[in-house]
Amino acid sequence: MDGAALTLDIGLTQSVATNADSVLVRRAAAGDTAAFEQLYRSHVGRVHGVILRLLGMDRARAEELTQEAFVRAWQKLGSYRHESAFSTWLHRLGVNTALMELRGRRDEQAMDDDALQAAAGGEVPFCAGERADLERAVSNLPPRARAVLVLHDVEGWKHEEISLELGMAVGSSKAQLHRARGLLRRALGGEI
Amino acid sequence: MNNEFEWRSEMRKLGGSVEPVHDLWPNIAAQIATRSTLRQNRWQIAFAIAATLVIAFAAGFVAQRGNWQSLNADSRLPPSSAMAWAQPRDAKLAAAARDLDDASAQIQQALEQHPDAVFLVGLLNRANGQRMRLLRQSQTHA
Repeated sequence: MDGAALTLDIGLTQSVATNADSVLVRRAAAGDTAAFEQLYRSHVGRVHGVILRLLGMDRARAEELTQEAFVRAWQKLGSYRHESAFSTWLHRLGVNTALMELRGRRDEQAMDDDALQAAAGGEVPFCAGERADLERAVSNLPPRARAVLVLHDVEGWKHEEISLELGMAVGSSKAQLHRARGLLRRALGGEI
Repeated sequence: MNNEFEWRSEMRKLGGSVEPVHDLWPNIAAQIATRSTLRQNRWQIAFAIAATLVIAFAAGFVAQRGNWQSLNADSRLPPSSAMAWAQPRDAKLAAAARDLDDASAQIQQALEQHPDAVFLVGLLNRANGQRMRLLRQSQTHA
């Protein structure tokens, strides 16, 4: 019973937040920068968080790209159709801003999937130590492998979505994930 | 963490909000303000161009019509006046002259903001040319 009440409460809170966002978005789209600042204050943590992880914890660059993402959001507010939650739209825009950096890096993309499989070392369960170790290991991954791992395992994206955003085949996305997990396993000491 | 489920669960915990160390809003606000001003200026220029073209076309049309009317003119034409060179006495020509003056003022305003915009000088010249034609037209009427 308590669980049901909690679920209802969370749902209600999210609904109120979405409505509040919707009002602010309409005001911001009409040129109200104060409304946009409120949206910034509400969402900057989530947008910055995903950009930071995609960039391997490069704080200075992540702040630059977060700033860029919000400027782009301001410019694109007119095209936001209120079909999805503003937070989802903004989060996606933040991810795209970070991925724009990675799309230009063709050197890794040139590696074929077999090589990636070999690098990963086969299907082996993972074992990680502390969260800090895991964060550090993720940030040390090659950029594209890290992007796929963060989007799939942390953000919950599907391979189809990742392949579209990163401009790669679905198979390559799976191979990159496999490679990333293998490299992580190795970096964390290979404790099985 | 010995299986895929535990792994995914642990990885999800890496997600979530991370506040930036610095407040990014001042820079964002500055960039937004700059880009909004540029966009507004572009609209002003576009409006000035559109207004000038419409007015020039309308003025040309009115002037031609006035010309045709002057060929068929009778004694109803207004008498000559010392101020005819400044404001046409014919109501239609006077209205077109006012519109052209407004358009010229808008273009001049845009030129002050964008002194390097050569095409605005061209537009201003066209507007002034139309204005001169109207003046000549009004003198013909007079």
